[in-house]
Amino acid sequence: MTSAVEFRSVSRHFGPVRAVDGVDLTIAEGSFFAMLGPSGSGKTTCLRLISGFEQPSAGAIRIFGEDVSRVPPHLRNVNTVFQDYALFPHLNVRDNVAYGLMVKGVGRGPRHAQAEEMLALVKLDGYGDRKPAQLSGGQRQRVALARALVNRPRVLLLDEPLGALDLKLREAMQDELKALQHRLGLTFVFVTHDQHEALSMADHLAVFNEGKIAQIGTPQDIYDRPATRFVADFVGSSNVLPPALTRALGGPEAWASLRPEAVRLAAAGPVTGPVTALRYLGVGTRVAVRLGETEVAALIPAGQPLPAEGEIVALAFDPSALHVMEGAR
Amino acid sequence: MSGAVLPARGPGDRLTGLFWRRPWLLLLLLIAPPLLWLGVVYMGSLAALLLQSFYSIDEFSGIVVPEFTLKTYAELFRAQNLDIILRTVTMAAAVTLACAALAFPIAYFAARYAKGPWKAAFYLGVMLPLWSSYLVKVYAWKLILAKEGILGWAAERTHTGFVIDGLLSIPGLQGSSLSTSPIGTFLVFVYIWLPYMILPMQAALERVPQSMLEASADLGATSRQTFRSVILPLALPGVVAGSIFTFSLTLGDYIIPQIIGNSANFIGMAVYQLQGTAGNIPLAAAFAVVPIGIMLVYLWLAKRAGAFDAL
Repeated sequence: MTSAVEFRSVSRHFGPVRAVDGVDLTIAEGSFFAMLGPSGSGKTTCLRLISGFEQPSAGAIRIFGEDVSRVPPHLRNVNTVFQDYALFPHLNVRDNVAYGLMVKGVGRGPRHAQAEEMLALVKLDGYGDRKPAQLSGGQRQRVALARALVNRPRVLLLDEPLGALDLKLREAMQDELKALQHRLGLTFVFVTHDQHEALSMADHLAVFNEGKIAQIGTPQDIYDRPATRFVADFVGSSNVLPPALTRALGGPEAWASLRPEAVRLAAAGPVTGPVTALRYLGVGTRVAVRLGETEVAALIPAGQPLPAEGEIVALAFDPSALHVMEGAR
Repeated sequence: MSGAVLPARGPGDRLTGLFWRRPWLLLLLLIAPPLLWLGVVYMGSLAALLLQSFYSIDEFSGIVVPEFTLKTYAELFRAQNLDIILRTVTMAAAVTLACAALAFPIAYFAARYAKGPWKAAFYLGVMLPLWSSYLVKVYAWKLILAKEGILGWAAERTHTGFVIDGLLSIPGLQGSSLSTSPIGTFLVFVYIWLPYMILPMQAALERVPQSMLEASADLGATSRQTFRSVILPLALPGVVAGSIFTFSLTLGDYIIPQIIGNSANFIGMAVYQLQGTAGNIPLAAAFAVVPIGIMLVYLWLAKRAGAFDAL
């Protein structure tokens, strides 16, 4: 399979700040790729490097094998859905969507027809005459999507496109985006700081930390086998165990991660501690147990007996669930 | 024992409470003085002006006859008066176009690129000329443009005097030097009103977010297309606001054409003479209504052209 986007030790420095620092990255054609990380981790800069709004300080970027270091944004075959949507307020929805065709010199009739087609694709048929200001947040998001798709890009970049939507709408749009990507067979590159969004939507993701990629892999790789403490901390509600505790629980003396759903409460065990908090989550209850300096969470499925706060309990788990991390950080 | 839960209230707190219960009361108190000013003093005098323009002057006694008539307006259409109006409107249009062309790059730089000290320098540079007397500036320009002024001197030294001579031989723009030609009047008008074009333009351009320009480029637009299809339409309300200033200020000014140029009459000068030495208040009022009418037509056209769609 050809790679849609390829980074070869790409860096982008702003003065002394290394926003992106020696990133190697390959995004396969047709994949739904997420860039996940906290704010300031370099994920958005990476996206802007692909779209051409930033230029690398070092390294090379290839889009479908072609070096784009000297190609300005308007000549790259990629389109972006902006975080604030950036819809043109003086144009109606139809002209917003048709903008990409207008600047290419497509006549009024055909470009309006194609714009209507795109609006139908994002389920906004009949909204062509409205101004962006007359739309809701979710509708604006769809217009931005239709506008980016009308040029038939080979890669679609999405910069936190769901960040401004409320939870229910966000979940609905997640499903729709995923379905759309399947239908069009396009490469989607998606920037987000929301772990759940990245894990549920992407088929591959890169976790960014301080301008570098901390881990790259499938959602399952990253959730089950975080490479570093940062990834374990950031991606999941996974327990991060210091070396001494890992050893006490029967593992090697190294940092390890342990998923709460793999942990059970037992009457006796090598390590015991008091229950410090109970949090009801619907599908189960998250029980926090203090083991020395570390708080370890266990997810107790609904219907099972719960300990009281302050009760001393021991932990039990399937040894295969304990994942030892190679990375020091 | 009942301990007071709420803190003790003084007369000031009671007033605050009253305003909280009746928000319109505070609003009324705040807007009453400006409303009185705007409604009575400003609109009232405008109405009085309008009324005067429907009176006429008795040609023998020179006394204003307070009877409704359109005779005074008919006088505006006499060749000599029509000339004044046409000359003033042409000048105002030319000044506005020149101001817009000069102001746009300055405003664009200030809105998009100037940061920190550069921005302060920009504001200072634009506002500084407004701090010195208008008359001083106009007289300074008279010296600059005079035959023996610095422009003439520089042209002589660089052997480019023919450029000025060429300009001064264009029919309608003749004069013995730039300071006695309509070109001089035009240059000084442009200089004096330029800040009033730059500031609203800059404010409008500042409101165009960077992501909108990026979106345009992302969708395949060249810089020129982005300028035409995104920046210009979004800056248009600012351009219109600025042009209202430059256009109406030029329409009403009576000092610059008196000091610089060939002494041809402008609307402002005509009003000044008619209400002063000639004592023809009705015709002066009728002349003063002309710029109001022109501005209303201009705004109507601008609205129809979609200049305010981005607001």
